[in-house]
Amino acid sequence: MSRLVRSSAFTLAFSYVAFGFAALILFAAPLWYAWQVTIQDSRTELLRVDTQRLSEVFAREGAVGLAAFINTRVGMQIPGERILLLTDPHLQPVAGNLPEWPRVIPMQPGTYTLPVNLGGRHTKAMFVHTVLPGGYNLLVGRDQTLFAPLTTRFWYGLAAAVAVLSIAGLLGGLMIRRALLLRVDNIRQTVLAIVQGDWSHRLPTKPSSDELDTLSRMINGMLDQIEQLLHGVRDVSNSIAHDLRTPLAELRSRLEELSLTRPAREETFAEIDAAVVDVDSVICIFNALLRLAEIDTGMRRSGFVPINAAEIAQQAVDFYLPAAELKGINLSYHGGPAAMSGDPVLLAQAIGNLIDNALKYTRDGGQVEVEVQALADARVRITVADDGPGIPDSEKPKVPTRFYRGDTSRGTPGVGLGLSLVASVAKVHGGALELTDNHPGLRAHMLIAPGTVWASDAGESQRELPAATKTTAQQPSPESVEAG
Amino acid sequence: MKVLLVEDNERVTRFVVKGLQEAGHIADHADNGRDGMFLAASERYDVIVMDRMLPGEIDGLAIIEALRKHGNRTPILILSALSDVDERIRGLKSGGDDYLTKPFAFGELLARLDALCRRIQGGATQTSLRVGDLHMDLLSRKAARGARAIALQPQEFKLLEYLMRHAGQVVTRTMLLENVWDYHFDPQTNVVDVHISKLRQKIESESERPILRTVRNAGYMLTADE
Repeated sequence: MSRLVRSSAFTLAFSYVAFGFAALILFAAPLWYAWQVTIQDSRTELLRVDTQRLSEVFAREGAVGLAAFINTRVGMQIPGERILLLTDPHLQPVAGNLPEWPRVIPMQPGTYTLPVNLGGRHTKAMFVHTVLPGGYNLLVGRDQTLFAPLTTRFWYGLAAAVAVLSIAGLLGGLMIRRALLLRVDNIRQTVLAIVQGDWSHRLPTKPSSDELDTLSRMINGMLDQIEQLLHGVRDVSNSIAHDLRTPLAELRSRLEELSLTRPAREETFAEIDAAVVDVDSVICIFNALLRLAEIDTGMRRSGFVPINAAEIAQQAVDFYLPAAELKGINLSYHGGPAAMSGDPVLLAQAIGNLIDNALKYTRDGGQVEVEVQALADARVRITVADDGPGIPDSEKPKVPTRFYRGDTSRGTPGVGLGLSLVASVAKVHGGALELTDNHPGLRAHMLIAPGTVWASDAGESQRELPAATKTTAQQPSPESVEAG
Repeated sequence: MKVLLVEDNERVTRFVVKGLQEAGHIADHADNGRDGMFLAASERYDVIVMDRMLPGEIDGLAIIEALRKHGNRTPILILSALSDVDERIRGLKSGGDDYLTKPFAFGELLARLDALCRRIQGGATQTSLRVGDLHMDLLSRKAARGARAIALQPQEFKLLEYLMRHAGQVVTRTMLLENVWDYHFDPQTNVVDVHISKLRQKIESESERPILRTVRNAGYMLTADE
């Protein structure tokens, strides 16, 4: 039972029943009031008609005639139907079925409701008191309980309505609960299976796309992402094992060899220098990984300021130009101003990585083009295109994963984190990295949608942006990075 | 140069102190925040190397803030294992003058300490720079070696200006990246070297004496000395 009470369907049904009751009360209360007023009026009317008739008898036949008439009436009627009393001016009963004048009724004529004792039966009655000519007092009353069955019927009706409402509500709640529980149970079992490690399960969805289906679909999307991340972590672990172990193994053997062979002074120094280079390459990988982690957790969004992507790209091109010239590669830039909010440090590094990558894989005398475009939908597209060997379509989705290095790239320097960083930077800026074919070569597009930030705290960071505008627009100094 | 090192790691301390002494400098050392604070406030140093995280209740940034509040303007280099860009900015905001992430090469540390010391000595508003027969006019943005005018791209000009402002000092690749290009990350390529060699071609013609040296394991130095 406690589980039933706790279920959300029951709560829902209960609230509906409560709401139904409230509606019923709202409906019945005025009705009840109107009815009471009507009954009261018709009672008064009946008494007035009686009084009228008796007054006419008094006018026609005098007190004695009326007394006789009243006694006949009282004798004929069902006991308790009418209450009649005629008294002389000193309130001494002359005729009627009340033994004495009720003391609570004052001498003024009018309508009164008071408890009476009718032949041992205690009840409430309504009286009309009339003073007839000659000071005679006429009291005409009716037992109110006469209308009681009607009232009772009203309450019965109301109770029946309440009962029907309760049962319907309860049944409805139970049915909703059954339907809901069935689906929730489905979800529960799927989640349980996933928790136990079987990632192939997904929540069942129907094409109806009701709330629960929408929710299921969202959860499925989340599960897909988590699974992807899990795979990513596994890949990274494998790659770290490979990419970090190699220089570490080299370093270890170098040091061990030094310790064992104790070579001549000069040779020792050369080995130590080489060992330092090994260490540096390990540090380099760690730094790149840490930086990626830093970006992925979204922390860098605190450094968002208004920037011109074109300016940053132009500077990056200028920076790499001598390196391109050295290889005889024609590195060119074209594009218009592209105002957006972003992190200048990250963006510069991402564009730099793309250019660096392009220069690395383009043969001597090749062509690398950098382009920045402000698209019509407020997005910014940064493209770096080369005419190198390109990446086969099958490998394109894998390239931005950490440590991934295509077969063609083995033998070139780098640790396979460059494009991961670009992808992460694009993601932080609400965009994505897209790799397409340049026929021949690779076109890397960094699509940036400054309006949409990560869903988790989008509102917050968007609100923060205008505040950063004032203080940091002009000076791209390191201090300005934090101001947001 | 008289250096105060506030650092709790023994090995790092030994490495830095020994290196500084070998380079002909005087190095004092404190291994906790309280002693560091005391030394920094009571003695005169040319430059302070401050670890960001120290044992005890006073951490590096708190010491820097306290020193700055009391009008101590000694240049401070922050040493930290925290590499976040945000951490770097926080360090500089607290009053530090430079920031170096652990692990670091000693050459990098020495070059940066050197630069910090001279920055205080050198005047800020120079209109021209001269190293031997290399001359640079900062107003007209022209450079010349003796009578030979040197045509420089804006970037090359900035690079040469930085080298000339730090003439006689070792300038590392990271320092060049940060100060000439404002790049606070490692582009993981030898682009800086390419820039330098291009600049070198322009400022050292065949008949002229080389003045831009490559310092092994450290960086570059522009000097008129033999």
